[in-house]
Amino acid sequence: MALMKRKGIRSAEIPTASQADLAFLLLLFFLVSTVIDVDTGIGLTLPDYIPPDQIKNVKVDKDRMAAILINENGDVLLDGKPIPLFQIKNTLEPRIESKIDLPKNKKLIISVKTDRKTNYNIYIQALDQIKQAYFEVRDQYSERTYGKKFNDLNPDNQNVVKEDKIPIIISLAEPESVQK
Amino acid sequence: MTFEKKRASVKQDIPTTSMPDIVFMLLMFFMVVTTLREYTILVQFKLPEAKALEKIENKRLIQYIWVGKSGKIQINDSIVKLSQVEPLMYAKRQALPNVIVSLRIDKDADMGEVTDIQQELRKASALRINYSANLKGS
Repeated sequence: MALMKRKGIRSAEIPTASQADLAFLLLLFFLVSTVIDVDTGIGLTLPDYIPPDQIKNVKVDKDRMAAILINENGDVLLDGKPIPLFQIKNTLEPRIESKIDLPKNKKLIISVKTDRKTNYNIYIQALDQIKQAYFEVRDQYSERTYGKKFNDLNPDNQNVVKEDKIPIIISLAEPESVQK
Repeated sequence: MTFEKKRASVKQDIPTTSMPDIVFMLLMFFMVVTTLREYTILVQFKLPEAKALEKIENKRLIQYIWVGKSGKIQINDSIVKLSQVEPLMYAKRQALPNVIVSLRIDKDADMGEVTDIQQELRKASALRINYSANLKGS
């Protein structure tokens, strides 16, 4: 009597024919659910918070300031003169340009002041115009000095342009609280 | 003379044994790249459009604040009051010192509301902000 157990020779392989299908299915799922959208927007740095009783008013040279005022109807005043919203860029460009070679404490300050009832979209359009003006001047300056667009400069030169030559200084004035 | 089609004597099938590997590699890429939507957005908003846009490079630094058409403020997954913005943002800033606050505000909102939120952010010293906007004309 044979004590040997007879083993049937079964195949011990995992069927891999459908592995590709499975992988494709997973792949499709991730392909569909992936969102590679980059957040875009207008960047800004807010000033530090100062309690109302410690606020000191610093006098700034009139020549340095470009005051933009937007009322609740979306009318724009630049230094007291009414201008169309889409002229902000062209008006500011020469003023930014004229201050490229001045020291840092003489650069242009753009102050934006709105009413509490001003539409947010108009405010963004105004900011957009200001930023466009700066970007344009940066591009022109980079092209004159380095022969390249600002974005194609190497980081060192970019910093020089960004920090020393054409820094973006935007001051957000608080809307008048009286008009609450 | 018999007409017989001439066939190349070379094998004609594409080797498919490595196909799963390739697919898995692609799969891995997409798995790593995918960020599943983290928040359910509770407010209705339509972003404004602008041209001079900047990209936020580091997604992990972003904290969103939504402001809807009706003026409701949403942070993380819930609607909050204006007075809650400061403590929430302060906590966030302690966890993540150089947080960028992305303001996703409806384009018909009033500046008063925006300024109020900005004041709260200043108090919480979360000073890096970004007005979220879409590219004009896209």
